[in-house]
Amino acid sequence: MIVVEHLTKYYGEYHAVRDVSFSVEKGQVVGFLGPNGAGTSTTMRILAGFLTASSGKATIGGKDVFWDPIEARRRIGYMPESCPLYGDMRVDEYLRFRGGLKGLSRTECKKRIGYVLERCWLKDESRQIIGTLSKGYRQRVGLADALLADPPVLILDEPTAGLDPSQIRETRKLMRELGQMHTMLLSTHILSEVEATCDSVIVIYQGQVVEDGSLAAVRQRHKNKPLEDIFVQLTGQEGI
Amino acid sequence: MRATCSLIRREFAAYFTGPIGYVALFGFLVLNGLLFWLVVGLLTEKGPRGIEYPMQVMLGGAENPQDVLVAGVLFWGLFPAVTGIITSRLIAEERGTGTLESLLTAPIRDWQVVFAKFVACFAFYLLLWSTTLVYIPVLADLKADWQGNVTLFAAMLVVGILFIGMAKLGFWFALNGRLVLLLGVSGVALAAAGGYLHATYDARHLVHLTWNIDARPILTSYLGMVLAGAMFLALGLLVSSWVKSQLVAWMLSLLLGLGFVLPAALRWQVDSGSDWDALVYYLSVPEHFRRDFTRGVIDTRPLVLYVTVTLCCLYLTVRSLEARRLR
Repeated sequence: MIVVEHLTKYYGEYHAVRDVSFSVEKGQVVGFLGPNGAGTSTTMRILAGFLTASSGKATIGGKDVFWDPIEARRRIGYMPESCPLYGDMRVDEYLRFRGGLKGLSRTECKKRIGYVLERCWLKDESRQIIGTLSKGYRQRVGLADALLADPPVLILDEPTAGLDPSQIRETRKLMRELGQMHTMLLSTHILSEVEATCDSVIVIYQGQVVEDGSLAAVRQRHKNKPLEDIFVQLTGQEGI
Repeated sequence: MRATCSLIRREFAAYFTGPIGYVALFGFLVLNGLLFWLVVGLLTEKGPRGIEYPMQVMLGGAENPQDVLVAGVLFWGLFPAVTGIITSRLIAEERGTGTLESLLTAPIRDWQVVFAKFVACFAFYLLLWSTTLVYIPVLADLKADWQGNVTLFAAMLVVGILFIGMAKLGFWFALNGRLVLLLGVSGVALAAAGGYLHATYDARHLVHLTWNIDARPILTSYLGMVLAGAMFLALGLLVSSWVKSQLVAWMLSLLLGLGFVLPAALRWQVDSGSDWDALVYYLSVPEHFRRDFTRGVIDTRPLVLYVTVTLCCLYLTVRSLEARRLR
């Protein structure tokens, strides 16, 4: 579903992503791991079409994100890091606006909004002004937006950052349910979450892929160490 | 198409969910109210003093008496500030809060984003000017006398207006869409045709209107204002795509906008008839209004300037958004 080949991105002189290649099969849930600044967000932004790669190729469901950006973006539900929203709109207004932006017809939009409000536990907050919502609810609105057009691929950049433990557990449950219907690429720093929700992991460090495979295979390759130890070892900070 | 409409609707509504729309309306109405008050004072003054072109005073072009000149300078000095308030938030705010990321990852092309934002701010600008339409009957000293001659065309006009009212009510209560559309369209057609025929063919009328100033300079003034405004708005939109802070965007667009206003002050410095004069005239929007639009002249030179600058700025805005992806 997602195929990335030799992706490279420079920010001016800075080499943020170096020759990254991986692919995600349909129906898989993949954890996209890496320390801060390793290039995970940049890769996701390139996949979502917000940035353009310096070289390399990425396709979503067979559509190239550079040559056929509209079709590629139609196949993606993307939730950016820290989940920016328009603070002056109400939740249902925002979702109606996003539905229109994604080309849903009015009746379709109504149906989908009802579904995502239910799915993301936002039913009672649908008339709230987004600016007054707490971090957890804002995150849910972002997730509802990603799900709105029922895209086959979900790309979620740190969906559980800044949530409290019960919200994290809630979101994780939602991820697991969504993983049965969508192909998912999610980045996170919480490794227990990866173990709970993902089929496989991709670890990226200094802009390069250093580990890629199913959870079981990765564990086996590293002598059944806990994921946290594997992560620290791969990202070269073993002394900590 | 649906995506563009959705974005236009949001951008237009955003003027009213925050303070910005009201600030722009307030500033604009204070300026225009001041000028209106001066015009009415001049028009009703007793004695030999009067004014030749009321619209020239309304749009800040008259040079005497002194207070009218001051008000005119104030109007043109603050005009780019008002358009700047309207445009500065459009892209700069989205960049500042990061919402640009979710907007640009939606399945919508960059030119559609720019087009939608421009249409929304242009619609708000037209709304600003439409509030000044209430001054026109007063300026024209409009009088309506009931004559009560009911003719076929007059009846058509009245029925048309009734249809429009019914369509409006139907729209309000969200009744059958097709019926409401049919009522509205037929109402507009009936009212327009009936009104035109009633005014031109019938010897005696339902209502007798007297109108004491020339109507055409009003039309040309509004035409000029609509197109000149489009130019200032496009300039502001371009500036808004460069920076992250609304305040900086506003100041920059004011500065660039003044580039099309301040050359008007040079007209006292250059010989009329010289090449410099032609250049200064071409670049100074207040001069276009003082000499042409408010006197009922449609000069194509300023119109070409407005349209080309608008299109250039919109094109550059699209490129500037694209360039962000490549950064």
